[in-house]
Amino acid sequence: MSGAMAPAGGVERDQGRNRGRDRGLDRRRRLRDGLATLLCGLATVLVLLALFSILATLVWNGIGGLSVATLTRVTAPGGENGGLLNPIVGSVIQVALATLLGAPIGIAAGIFLAEYGAGSPFATAVRFISDMLLSAPSILVGLFVYLLLVAPVRHFSGYAGIVALAILVIPIVVRTTEDMLRLVPLSMREAAAALGAPRWKVVLLVCVRAAAGGMATGVLLAVARIAGETAPLLFTSLGNLNWSTRLGAPMASLPVTIYQYAGSAFDDWVQLAWTAALLITAGVLLLNMGARFALRRRGER
Amino acid sequence: MEPDANHRSRAMPDSAIPAADGALSAAARAMISIRGLDFHYGDHHALRGISLDFPARQVTGMIGPSGCGKSTLLRILNRMYDLYPGQRATGEVLLDGENIIAPGTDVNRLRSRVGMVFQKPTPFPMSIRDNIAFGIKLHERISRSEMDGRIEDALRRVALWTEVKDRLRAGAGALSGGQQQRLCIARTIATRPEVILLDEPTSALDPISTARIEELLDELKQDFTIAIVTHNLQQAARCADQVAFFFMGELVEVDRADRMFTTPRLKRTQDYITGRFG
Repeated sequence: MSGAMAPAGGVERDQGRNRGRDRGLDRRRRLRDGLATLLCGLATVLVLLALFSILATLVWNGIGGLSVATLTRVTAPGGENGGLLNPIVGSVIQVALATLLGAPIGIAAGIFLAEYGAGSPFATAVRFISDMLLSAPSILVGLFVYLLLVAPVRHFSGYAGIVALAILVIPIVVRTTEDMLRLVPLSMREAAAALGAPRWKVVLLVCVRAAAGGMATGVLLAVARIAGETAPLLFTSLGNLNWSTRLGAPMASLPVTIYQYAGSAFDDWVQLAWTAALLITAGVLLLNMGARFALRRRGER
Repeated sequence: MEPDANHRSRAMPDSAIPAADGALSAAARAMISIRGLDFHYGDHHALRGISLDFPARQVTGMIGPSGCGKSTLLRILNRMYDLYPGQRATGEVLLDGENIIAPGTDVNRLRSRVGMVFQKPTPFPMSIRDNIAFGIKLHERISRSEMDGRIEDALRRVALWTEVKDRLRAGAGALSGGQQQRLCIARTIATRPEVILLDEPTSALDPISTARIEELLDELKQDFTIAIVTHNLQQAARCADQVAFFFMGELVEVDRADRMFTTPRLKRTQDYITGRFG
């Protein structure tokens, strides 16, 4: 105690012997502090280095294939100047509809867990299953939807892909929604209730609004996750080499195209795979930045 | 220790404010009458045999050391305890002759009649305007122009109108702590309650904001019956017409504020007021 206090205020009183000892202690503390800061800094640099080397490789290899032709032409056999139009459109359709399908279910379940199910055995079970689903291998989700929606009708479809992706969206949104709602202070709930608001209005008009930013981040996290998912689409929407926006038919997507093209013998296909990877990354990045910007502006209002 | 008999007589119905003592002018009608109230948090017996009247259009201050039950009592008056399982009240709390702790009470309607302001300012994550409209919309359907009038009126009454009239659509979170608390009071009075409960409303505020809220209470009691819990004895002396002293879940003494702080009848009250404990 006196050791910690001496350099600050007790120096005048503790003249002589103590002074030297406290200075030694002080020096050792500074040394340890510096060492810890250095290690944390090194770890950060390591992570950033890995991240930027991935991004740089992606841009380096992908940007060359980025052209109007790539974005406006449909996929074609190797060497025949194909583009990525159908995978791009297919990915946008499937990711958007999967989010529209999965996010409301996830938000509703998250609200239930945070606001109504506190401590009930049913809620505990739902939370457990949702967390299991969060870490389930996505290929299992693909197989599950295959058995449910593909095998019975004997053909692959965009619907099946959407459902598979939606199943991946749900647990992410459930978790973030519940966590964000739990952060809403009790005092705010009490204040709303004290005005005579029934429980559902307290939850929907006050708590959800207070947690909206975090909940939107959760949805974006889910979008980012499914935008790059390949495995659940392999057995569901399969991929389509031709132009098609029919949800009842097999549908192309960027990740499946990357999977098919990256290991191929055609140079232009490999190039297109790099470009597709760049497009997914850039798309998710732009979406994230746009949403953050929109949320910040809303917060300032 | 004071003789138990003295205390018990105070806890009996109709003797909480003995007429012989002339605690309050006979003209003051009791807005809320508590009779033989007991409260439990699970196994904990938090309030015992409370009987107390809240005179209409007066400020009743509730004082006592932490954990004495004064906030608990306040939260019974608008049935805030309903939000939590395992809490129960028995006895009678009469608002206009109706026992509000009886099972059949419409809690949301009760809370529109008995508003509450909390220790920490609790603006909702919406605009200043919507913060006030929120409470009104819960209970009334009114036109937009009427709503604007009600909002202006509420903000004027808490002396916030001139400060915020140009940014009603701005988020309430950007206001200062004192402004936020006045906004919360405006939100409460906008729903036109009969009673306003304040739970240490100034303990998170600076002295200037505190003074403004205290002035406000003086004006508000023209229209509302006010119950305020405070740890600040000077505040109770300044604001309250009637003061109730609680200790360990019991109502020890209740009297006119001037008498309570000059000539308390019981030694326990005197010890607390003079800072010997608490």
